[in-house]
Amino acid sequence: MPIDLLKFPNDLLREVFRLCDPFQLYKLSKCSKKCSQKAITLSERKNWKITYCGGNVITIWVDGSNYNFNQADYPEDYFQMSLGRYSNYMDIEFPNGGGADLFIYLIDTLGIGSVKLMEITFGTIANVAKVAKILADRNMEIEKFVIGNVEEVQDVVNFMTTLSQMKISQEFHCFLNFPPDFHFEFVKYPRKVSITDSSWFTIDQLLNCTSVWIELENSSFNNHDLDVFLQEWKKTGTFPNFRRLRIQSDLIDNRSPILEMNLPIENVDYPKIGVSINGHSEIVDPVRVTKDDGTIGWLKVDVGNWSELNFLIADPADTVVEELLWWRNSDDETDED
Amino acid sequence: MSSTEQGTSSAAPAEPTTAPESAAAPEVPESFYYVHGKDKVVHKVSAGALQHSALIHGMISNLGYTEEQAKANPFPFENIDGDILQMVVDWCNQHKGKPTPPEDTNLPKQKEKLFDLVLAVNYLEIKELLTYCCKQVAMMVKGKSPEEIREIWMIPTDAEDEAAEKEAKKRAGKEAAGETAAAAGDAK
Repeated sequence: MPIDLLKFPNDLLREVFRLCDPFQLYKLSKCSKKCSQKAITLSERKNWKITYCGGNVITIWVDGSNYNFNQADYPEDYFQMSLGRYSNYMDIEFPNGGGADLFIYLIDTLGIGSVKLMEITFGTIANVAKVAKILADRNMEIEKFVIGNVEEVQDVVNFMTTLSQMKISQEFHCFLNFPPDFHFEFVKYPRKVSITDSSWFTIDQLLNCTSVWIELENSSFNNHDLDVFLQEWKKTGTFPNFRRLRIQSDLIDNRSPILEMNLPIENVDYPKIGVSINGHSEIVDPVRVTKDDGTIGWLKVDVGNWSELNFLIADPADTVVEELLWWRNSDDETDED
Repeated sequence: MSSTEQGTSSAAPAEPTTAPESAAAPEVPESFYYVHGKDKVVHKVSAGALQHSALIHGMISNLGYTEEQAKANPFPFENIDGDILQMVVDWCNQHKGKPTPPEDTNLPKQKEKLFDLVLAVNYLEIKELLTYCCKQVAMMVKGKSPEEIREIWMIPTDAEDEAAEKEAKKRAGKEAAGETAAAAGDAK
């Protein structure tokens, strides 16, 4: 039995649109120009999130489900759907401007409020850069941004100006090896920063970093840099958000102390302990260090083939310090042998 | 519990609910009100059931009608068909004093009446029922193609919209011309 939807007053239409899923709203917007306009005008800003990796798929996340818009190869496949319990797929015609244009169409038409993930993967920098510029202009939140280890290094270098203007709130991951003269400054730090080739990330940046979680691999930091950072951390009032730091650097060695301790820095007493945040990101056998205000941190610095500093700031609400039973068991087995 | 009456109402005063032995205070007898739709069929509904409707609840909250006064002054909803009002009253009775569960099995099923039901429920401001009805409307097109959606929701194509717009303009032009001619005739 048909129903004359457009005769509903706008408040009712708004309610119906609110209860539609992303595929329904998208298809409605394709029914006519008038419908598309109605959808744009009446779709309220939702808690839906969108993911774009520059390719031929755009995903919208609604509560626990995801809706994937795939580029169809043939017109006969348009609007073909596969609906599952959590994952849903629909083949559609992408606009002439490709995924970037579709992305903008979807956030405008469906009233999407934030971006869950954007990622630069092979061959996608142009599309991602186009969308990123618009998101930066709109000051729209991007929860997580990932730069993959792509070949178009110079394109990514050129893109970094736009990146600095983006509102990345939760995580920034970078797997790219930048050229030696590369330099980049975050205007605002996301909650977590993880960089696999971080030789460009300076000690001044680390000292100014407001992230909660920092992971830097292939860093250019030496013992002195790490000592400077930890001495700064010890002062009352510094790094209020900071919880976890992991720095891998070939320049960490046993020639000079860090926090007046010779390297390696680790707990050599028994029992062996593990310190973790809610059971994750455990540091095995760290030593306890104390900030001037009494805050406790746990520090371990390994030297050798894999020189790495691991540092965790304890919070009684989530930090677990426990004896490592597996260590004791393995000792027992060794004794028996 | 309320009852539905045909024609004019002749309901007896509500019987007080039997209080459990352990209860300390006797329960206050439930008050009833009367509503009718376009067909003038009067429905007797308890104040408890009517609480679902923000509109009616607002109307009755400070009335303090006696049973006779309520019977003599049924609320007229001339813009709502009788069968639609019956559905709404039934739903309100079934959900008196309790929230609607997420999967409500006691909801109106007649899809052919959905359009009018949505408008009535929206007018009467019954939020939970409105959400359910709108969900039903939305579900009508789940998994359908744009062409099917256009049919189910009676959405004109761009060409039909343009033709209708042209027609409207033409009609407006004719009407304006007619008015001008009439004004000129009057002037003569």
